Amino acid sequence: MPIANDAPATYRTSAVRPGPATLIAEAIRELASRRRLIAYLVRADVRRKGTDTLLGNLWWALDPLIAMAVYVFVMGVIFQRSVPDFPIYILAAVVPFKWFTSSIGGSTGVVAKNERLIKQIQFPKLVLPIADALAELVSFAFGVLLLVGLTLLWAGGAHASLMLLWIPVIAVVQLAFSLGITLFVSAVTVFYRDVGIVVGHLLRMLFFISPILWSFEDAQGRGASLKEGLGPTGFWILEHNPVAILLASYRRVIYGQVQHGADGGVTWSAPVAPDLGLLAALFGVSLLLLVVGTWFFKRLEPAFAKIL
Amino acid sequence: MGKKEMEAPAIASDVALDVQDLGVRYNLQLTKKNTARETLNRLLRRGREDRSFWALREVTFQVQRGESVGVIGANGAGKSTLLLVLAGIIQPSAGVVQSNGHISTLLSLQAGFDQDLTGRENIALAGALLGVDHREMERRTPEIIDFAEIGAFIDAPLKTYSSGMRAKLGFSIATAVDPDILLLDEVLQTGDEAFREKSRQRIIDVLGAAKAVVLVTHDMSWVTGFCTRAILLDEGRIVMDGDPETVVARHIENAERRRADRRARRAKMAAGEIEAESLRAHKAKGRRSR
Repeated sequence: MPIANDAPATYRTSAVRPGPATLIAEAIRELASRRRLIAYLVRADVRRKGTDTLLGNLWWALDPLIAMAVYVFVMGVIFQRSVPDFPIYILAAVVPFKWFTSSIGGSTGVVAKNERLIKQIQFPKLVLPIADALAELVSFAFGVLLLVGLTLLWAGGAHASLMLLWIPVIAVVQLAFSLGITLFVSAVTVFYRDVGIVVGHLLRMLFFISPILWSFEDAQGRGASLKEGLGPTGFWILEHNPVAILLASYRRVIYGQVQHGADGGVTWSAPVAPDLGLLAALFGVSLLLLVVGTWFFKRLEPAFAKIL
Repeated sequence: MGKKEMEAPAIASDVALDVQDLGVRYNLQLTKKNTARETLNRLLRRGREDRSFWALREVTFQVQRGESVGVIGANGAGKSTLLLVLAGIIQPSAGVVQSNGHISTLLSLQAGFDQDLTGRENIALAGALLGVDHREMERRTPEIIDFAEIGAFIDAPLKTYSSGMRAKLGFSIATAVDPDILLLDEVLQTGDEAFREKSRQRIIDVLGAAKAVVLVTHDMSWVTGFCTRAILLDEGRIVMDGDPETVVARHIENAERRRADRRARRAKMAAGEIEAESLRAHKAKGRRSR
């Protein structure tokens, strides 16, 4: 059996600690050469989600619908706080938020659960969080189809507009942001399993402090007490929470904006483009997060096989 | 990986593996499934006690091209750790490992399988995990399927397989690699009697085709039958390196002595010769260190 003798001699030692630039260049090389591995892992993940349950991938559409029904009941019937076309208003935030929570929540175990693999095969561990993030993206795509379909049909297409085309743009920013966080969370969870629990609580808090059941426009009208209670700084922070920026953007392009009349009546205006300045700033922060996260992950990677 | 690939500092071309002064340290503080509370407790109560453990220490050897080296030793001697370092799965804590050629491992039996993918898709996945080019893997797929004897099941999800079928598929994939420098943890024998005979022959073929082999095993007949050299490890250090027959003899001798020691201790204990005094001291020590 002829074997090409071009295999590079490798040299491993404890003496060298590669710097950040080396690690990141290495990460990019690894990912480029393992594209197929990532694709296979994504396929396996999507199929697993589809075959575990009777209704399979249909759950991805049913889940936000059921959640929406619950929130509409709670907010609309119990709290009497609904706005016109409340289901679309809620769904526009629930679908992307579900993507965010399942990406971050699922990422906590993504390295740890592959313990057997990591201890037996030498491969770039970076493919694990990345494949996980892409699989979640596939699920989100199902959800977006449902969301767009419903928006086009609701009230004779009252909310339908070309602004829906902004969804992929906002999704790219969200993907970068959540992947950046995933890199940190998945690496740290290997060392401290508690991280998974803490992350769960943080995500729940995020649900309430992000504009899902309410929106910042409320603060102009009857929700003015919110602004007063938090003070200008507090309100600014609330408004610039990355998840809030993302969710507000989705709602602007899908639902439109809530408007409070002087007489206390609530109406809505047609969908508008998202705040591009904010979105661009968030994208910049996300890219930075990705770079630092990659370095962080690569730095801890050599210890994974020993710790697990 | 923190692995640094650079100009290999002159390694003779007839040397396949060069291990210099290798040490691997496990940090016991982190290897336990930690909770923050435990860590905090440890940090508070006992500041800087060293809780690390050297699984390998000052290990130096070379494997020449054409050599088959058997690594033997008692459980916990560091054999598997050595193989993990050679495979690049864990990093050395001290010393240098150099290799001249592509390292394949046969420790990967079934490791990368996904229950929801079909057998065929799992072959592709395993190839991608091992870093084999996908065209190369596609070329080998028919042979792998044929060897594994799973027939039409190959396009069914893996969760429908029996454990025997899974093992056969894993074996076929693992041994389909082009061996250059081959690492083996325990000779993989699996499946029914007929398959075991077939797999034995396959391993012999693969071993023969490899440029160099490092084999970790408890089965001494493989060491004396196939290896050109043997290394005996004890508590992370090389205690003997040489001709397989001699090293195996020494290993068996050691093992017997250990067994005899244990028997003697048990006999003493039964006879109550170990005073209650020392037993109490031992217990107290154990409590303190907990």
